Amino acid sequence: MLRNYLPIIMMMAVAALFGVVMGKINEFIGPKRPSEEKQSTYESGMEPIRTARERFSVKFYMVAMLFIVFDIEVVFLYPWAVSYKHLGVAGFATMFVFIAILLIGYFYVWKKGALEWD
Amino acid sequence: MVEQILVSVSRFLPEVTLTVTFCVAILGGLIFHKHPKTVGYLAFIGILVSIFCAVQQLGVSESVFSGMISVDPFAVFFKILIGSVALIIIAFSFFSAEVLTTVRRMGEYFSLLVAMTLGMFLMAGASNLLMMVLALELTSLSSYILAGYTKEAADSSEASLKYILYGALSSGVMLYGVSILYGLTGATDFIGVNKALALGTTSHVSLLVATIFIIVGFGYKISAVPFHFWTPDVYEGAPITITAFLSVASKAAGFAMMIRFFKVTFIDTHMVGLPSGMWASVSGFEWNKLLAILSVLTMTLGNLVAVWQNNLKRLLAYSSIAHAGYMLMGVVILSDKGLAAVLIYFIVYLFMNLGAFLVVMMVANKTGSEDIDTYKGLGYRSPLVGVAMVIFFISLTGLPPTAGFIGKLYLFSALLDAKWIWLAVVGAINSVVSLYYYVRVLRNMFLRDPEGNAGPLVFPTPQLTLLVVLMIPTILFGLYFTPIVNFANASLLMFGIQ
Repeated sequence: MLRNYLPIIMMMAVAALFGVVMGKINEFIGPKRPSEEKQSTYESGMEPIRTARERFSVKFYMVAMLFIVFDIEVVFLYPWAVSYKHLGVAGFATMFVFIAILLIGYFYVWKKGALEWD
Repeated sequence: MVEQILVSVSRFLPEVTLTVTFCVAILGGLIFHKHPKTVGYLAFIGILVSIFCAVQQLGVSESVFSGMISVDPFAVFFKILIGSVALIIIAFSFFSAEVLTTVRRMGEYFSLLVAMTLGMFLMAGASNLLMMVLALELTSLSSYILAGYTKEAADSSEASLKYILYGALSSGVMLYGVSILYGLTGATDFIGVNKALALGTTSHVSLLVATIFIIVGFGYKISAVPFHFWTPDVYEGAPITITAFLSVASKAAGFAMMIRFFKVTFIDTHMVGLPSGMWASVSGFEWNKLLAILSVLTMTLGNLVAVWQNNLKRLLAYSSIAHAGYMLMGVVILSDKGLAAVLIYFIVYLFMNLGAFLVVMMVANKTGSEDIDTYKGLGYRSPLVGVAMVIFFISLTGLPPTAGFIGKLYLFSALLDAKWIWLAVVGAINSVVSLYYYVRVLRNMFLRDPEGNAGPLVFPTPQLTLLVVLMIPTILFGLYFTPIVNFANASLLMFGIQ
């Protein structure tokens, strides 16, 4: 039974080896001209050390929340689509109700302007 | 399978109605944003229909959705009770100056109120550990938002935040207890857990830990000491309509869930015809002693701290903690008589507590204050409201000839019947303590002169009408209580219990 997983293990080993080898090649033969900017943790990103008490716009939460809701909807759709033929009309009706409820939510979100960033 | 679900749905109509009402209300809030009260009417009609559907279920005793929810007289009783509270609260909302200032968001307010009612309906019927947690969460999440509904007021936001923190912690602990109980018994439905416990192979210590963890969740919902810390702040900060809703409906739903959990899970179903006032536990642990301690702590702390309160909302918060303690006495016995007493008490509590909150709200609408000093001379400034408050407070104390007396009478007689004499004595002493702080308000109303330039207060007729509607049953049920006693006695039947 474990033999079936052999290709996966080989794949993982090759991937790991590839990553290490490429990194090392870069380290040995790449040019090195360090500067202060380059040495910082995130060259073009945020400061790594600063106060944690910052205010975030609530919009980030809104987007995250909406994403989760509609993402889960899609997750539910997959198994339903796969076994669509077995479920028949009852399955179709159930899914219809489910999507209709989410659609009401979508309409609400839209009208409330939660999808607009500004 | 499909047929089974369809049959279940036909027994699930009150909840389905509420779900539809919720969707309609949330869309109505968008469509009628110029006439926000329309949503209130829609919600009112929806809840009315769902109560009607619940009434149709009287006498049914079934388990639907593969044992997730029980539809039995016990659940129907609480559905009718909670639905009626929701209707009265919607009427309150039309009068509340606090809620009416936030016209733009009223659509959300009413739809969340419906969602909360739905959660409580599910709590009343939940007969599976998972359903129990889900229903509790649905109720709690809606109430967190509603507690912070007037977001312009700092204390409302504070109330909401405190509520979330306590709620998250206690439901987390409860969920942990549920997971341990599942690990011990391998079942999530109450009847399955009962069967597994009846084998007598479960470890006592882990069962005790699991159940205490679950009691944390119940205790938070019914605001029993020591899980009550959120209550005063939330009751003071939340809009008064929501405070009134939480103090009656939320408590009723918590009690319904708790009673069902203890009765179906821990009672030995093989011992039919137990002597009155006894309950044989399948697990061998005497849960009633634990609940008795909880009850004594709850009523004593609630009453003693209420004595020092000067804010009427806060005073009523502590008084509601104390009342949870009284009702817990009935759960301690868990005999039919004890439970009937709890149900009777809830009917009575509905009228007297909502009435007291209505008076506080009306006075706050006019004066903008809930302080005890604003009540000075109220009995002369508005005799009808003053008299109404006297009746509600006398009833809350439990003195005849009001309905509160009947509630307490049945509780204490059930206790004495079950030989819990010391508990009855503690309860009686507590009632005496409560008399002090209720009378303090009444004294201000009738024996103190109003401060400053206080003329007579004139209240709108609809508010006075609602006040009288709540006042009549408070007196009537004190004199003629056969109907509520019969209704309570007929509502004791639970699915899974002979």
